[in-house]
Amino acid sequence: MPKRQCQEALDKLFEYIDGELTDEELLRIGAHLRDCPPCEAEHRINERIRLLVSQAHGDKAPHQLRERVLSTIQMAREESR
Amino acid sequence: MTTNTDGFTFETEALSYMDQLYAAALRMTRNPADAEDLVQETFAKAFAAEDKFTPGTNLKAWLYRIQTNAFINTYRKKQREPKRTDADAVEDWQLAAAATHQSSGLASAEQVALDGIGDDDVRNALSELSDDFRMAVYLSDVEGFAYKEIAEIMDTPVGTVMSRLHRGRRMLREKLRDYAAERGIYDHKAGS
Repeated sequence: MPKRQCQEALDKLFEYIDGELTDEELLRIGAHLRDCPPCEAEHRINERIRLLVSQAHGDKAPHQLRERVLSTIQMAREESR
Repeated sequence: MTTNTDGFTFETEALSYMDQLYAAALRMTRNPADAEDLVQETFAKAFAAEDKFTPGTNLKAWLYRIQTNAFINTYRKKQREPKRTDADAVEDWQLAAAATHQSSGLASAEQVALDGIGDDDVRNALSELSDDFRMAVYLSDVEGFAYKEIAEIMDTPVGTVMSRLHRGRRMLREKLRDYAAERGIYDHKAGS
């Protein structure tokens, strides 16, 4: 297992997951992950946590907040008229 | 001042982000009453500065930037929480040391442990991070903003965003592992 390639893949893992790599880097690191089970395991764990975080945060604004904001905007519009 | 048609477009689009801004405000302030005040302040500021917005650019990122500034300028000061030292606690050598493989036994134990992690655990773990790390992780993972957009929202260089993301996610992962270990669903000695 080439250690230098592992180091690059692990260093850029978050950029890989976040879609921040150049096409060239994306292909190189993607290919390494397919060949290297320990790096792929790290990749899966981090991607899983990213998904958990995104799924855990879907709060809706309460109605009274919506009303407050709407009345603020209305007042601002009337003043500027 | 914009015309009525433009005003309508701006207003409609801005209001469509209210749920997202509120969810982010909850993460920032960690308190529903402050979160509502923060969103209210964000919209008041946004509509007052409507003519400073360039149509066709990213309105969502613009609103997040206003909200982030409002949070930093008012709520963070108001909260007067003792300064957290997460930023100082994780040294670069720790990051370098962490960027290695773990044993396959440990990796699969961690994957199994993540199956037992619920939404509350994730929210608690995130809320324990300091403001800068929590917001960077939230803006990336939940909102899917690009690093460059997060840099603009947080008014910081892209390199700082990357460092906050690395550290924040590493700490988040450690906290999730701790929760799982407390519940006996993660054995940190597995496979060693």
